[in-house]
Amino acid sequence: MVSKLSQLQTELLAALLESGLSKEALIQALGEPGPYLLAGDGPLDKGEACGGGRGELAELPNGLGETRGSEDETDDDGEDFTPPILKELENLSPEEAAHQKAVVEALLQEDPWRVAKMVKSYLQQHNIPQREVVDTTGLNQSHLSQHLNKGTPMKTQKRAALYTWYVRKQREVAQQFTHAGQGGLIEEPTGDELPTKKGRRNRFKWGPASQQILFQAYERQKNPSKEERETLVEECNRAECIQRGVSPSQAQGLGSNLVTEVRVYNWFANRRKEEAFRHKLAMDTYSGPPPGPGPGSALPAHSSPGLPPPALSPSKVHGVRYGQPATSETAEVPSSSGGPLVTVSTPLHQVSPTGLEPSHSLLSTEAKLVSATGGPLPPVSTLTALHSLEQTSPGLNQQPQNLIMASLPGVMTIGPGEPASLGPTFTNTGASTLVIGLASTQAQSVPVINSMGSSLTTLQPVQFSQPLHASYQQPLMPPVQSHVTQSPFMATMAQLQNPHALYSHKPEVAQYTHTGLLPQTMLITDTTNLSALASLTPTKQVRPRSAALPRLSQTPHRHTPGAQESALLPQVFTSDTEASSESGLHTPASQATTLHVPSQDPAGIQHLQPAHRLSASPTMSSSSLVLYQSSDSSNGHSHLLPSNHSVIETFISTQMASSSQ
Amino acid sequence: MVSPRAGKAHRLSAEERDQLLPNLRAVGWNELEGRDAIFKQFHFKDFNRAFGFMTRVALQAEKLDHHPEWFNVYNKVHITLSTHECAGLSERDINLASFIEQVAVSMT
Repeated sequence: MVSKLSQLQTELLAALLESGLSKEALIQALGEPGPYLLAGDGPLDKGEACGGGRGELAELPNGLGETRGSEDETDDDGEDFTPPILKELENLSPEEAAHQKAVVEALLQEDPWRVAKMVKSYLQQHNIPQREVVDTTGLNQSHLSQHLNKGTPMKTQKRAALYTWYVRKQREVAQQFTHAGQGGLIEEPTGDELPTKKGRRNRFKWGPASQQILFQAYERQKNPSKEERETLVEECNRAECIQRGVSPSQAQGLGSNLVTEVRVYNWFANRRKEEAFRHKLAMDTYSGPPPGPGPGSALPAHSSPGLPPPALSPSKVHGVRYGQPATSETAEVPSSSGGPLVTVSTPLHQVSPTGLEPSHSLLSTEAKLVSATGGPLPPVSTLTALHSLEQTSPGLNQQPQNLIMASLPGVMTIGPGEPASLGPTFTNTGASTLVIGLASTQAQSVPVINSMGSSLTTLQPVQFSQPLHASYQQPLMPPVQSHVTQSPFMATMAQLQNPHALYSHKPEVAQYTHTGLLPQTMLITDTTNLSALASLTPTKQVRPRSAALPRLSQTPHRHTPGAQESALLPQVFTSDTEASSESGLHTPASQATTLHVPSQDPAGIQHLQPAHRLSASPTMSSSSLVLYQSSDSSNGHSHLLPSNHSVIETFISTQMASSSQ
Repeated sequence: MVSPRAGKAHRLSAEERDQLLPNLRAVGWNELEGRDAIFKQFHFKDFNRAFGFMTRVALQAEKLDHHPEWFNVYNKVHITLSTHECAGLSERDINLASFIEQVAVSMT
């Protein structure tokens, strides 16, 4: 028969055959992993191993050879005697051990980088965590990672350990798959071999193929039923098997990376949370840096998408939330900080308000700010996802969102006088932040300007109809009253201010809100913003702005004598309670870049703050760009402004300067 | 363990013995003293063959469900056949012995 058979093997084999065992039966029997601890049970394809093994292995015949003998010389040939002793645990047979050794030897001879690529791709294909390799080989994880990813040299001995792991793992996985139907792994292939980690199964990880399937399903429906989830489970497992080059029927071989219905359920739940968080961030951005701890509460409100931020992307309704309260706040708030206004603007950029345009940018900056202060942080993963998903052009920044955020500076953290609070937190994923302020403004023209802070805390659904309480947030922004306006407003504001506090951008928007903000009014230095704002659609964006601004001018509150605002922004504030003013705003301001909301308004704004949501005085809104002059504080509302003041000043264009305070 | 294939396990009568044993005696099987059994010693060229022989016999024994008592040292194999159920010789022993002979001849 086979030349390499020992005599006894031949004899025995002959005996077997003579005993009535047909060749086919014998061969079939060989194919069964079952009772035969065949050395060759593992991958028989390692020709090299065979050769190597053969050489190494003793020629002593041993029973195992019998089975293999017939055809291939792989590995065996001499099943060695020694190896089994060494490898007994891992290797099923000495042949296998020899075989593995041979493979490792061969790999060591090869170009390390090429082999590293092979190993790395294997890890990726089977979704094996590096940790597992590290645990079993004792290599340093950093070193291993660098070697596999960048080709950092690794000593031969260590590479040998790595390759040994690789060879063994392949065997394990192969067995894992073949035995998939048989209920499990024969050996403990996965995970670490450390006894302590007995339950060691590796942590489950989603593969790219599965994720793709899930994302597609998510697009269709965010909340799949149990049956749908089960369908997805099957689909994912099939895809994962295919990725690994295994028949889908062997899904059990996926081991710790097997997709189950629970995992799918969790994935969907996490995505939903992520989205909510994104919205929240967006909103925060608009509303500007949250006044303080407050925003947290506000933020969670995501749900208030109720605010119809016209400009804002409806989806970002969440953002609206912020916006709304923000707007109201802003109106009132200018207090906290003149500063915040400024900052708010910047963040706006980040947010990419869907609806708002350039103004968004302002807002975005604000949004950013806002988000910074933001409320609860979403799970990390969400952020990642968000970013990846939301790659809106920075310029645009999620405007709507930003706006909202900005406008809600107050919402977020509106901390009293904390300028930054609002903004920073918004990373804005671009969520609907804009919505926040803007949305609310509509009704009320609440100048969302959160500004300075705390006003936004309320984050309450900025229904603008309500007072802009929210807007207090960052007075930075001119109280953007109208929700809508806010956004653009905020955006602009944000821009104007942005340089400053990140937070400010939010506040800026808020600033618009007239109330107190006025003094702080954000100067929208950025003409572009203004134009953007203008373009935003007066209704929408402007609204908030105008809301904010107008307040300033109009409201009698404006106690501040500064009234420059009124003067300054006549149009801005124009008392138009509604958006109208906004448009006015835009224009005048715009181009002016500084919209500054006459500080005067502080009085007006302040009114907002105190709680009123700017509902009453939409005027503010128009002033979207109201620059709150912090100095304005004169009115006393200064709380909004004071800080802003400084901030604003920077931004404040000449106009403001003059006007105010 | 009664195996139909192995034939009946009843002790061979004198007549049957007279009928069947001569053939075995002729090829070297001897009846043992003090025991109702037959015995033969086989020699082979080397261990491999001896063991090959044994393997074949073993496989057959399993098939017949009737096992020999044997001893092996290198190339020698001593086999004693008897039936436990009847405490003596039976048809099964005769059958197995015949098989053994066939194998032995083919083994050299």
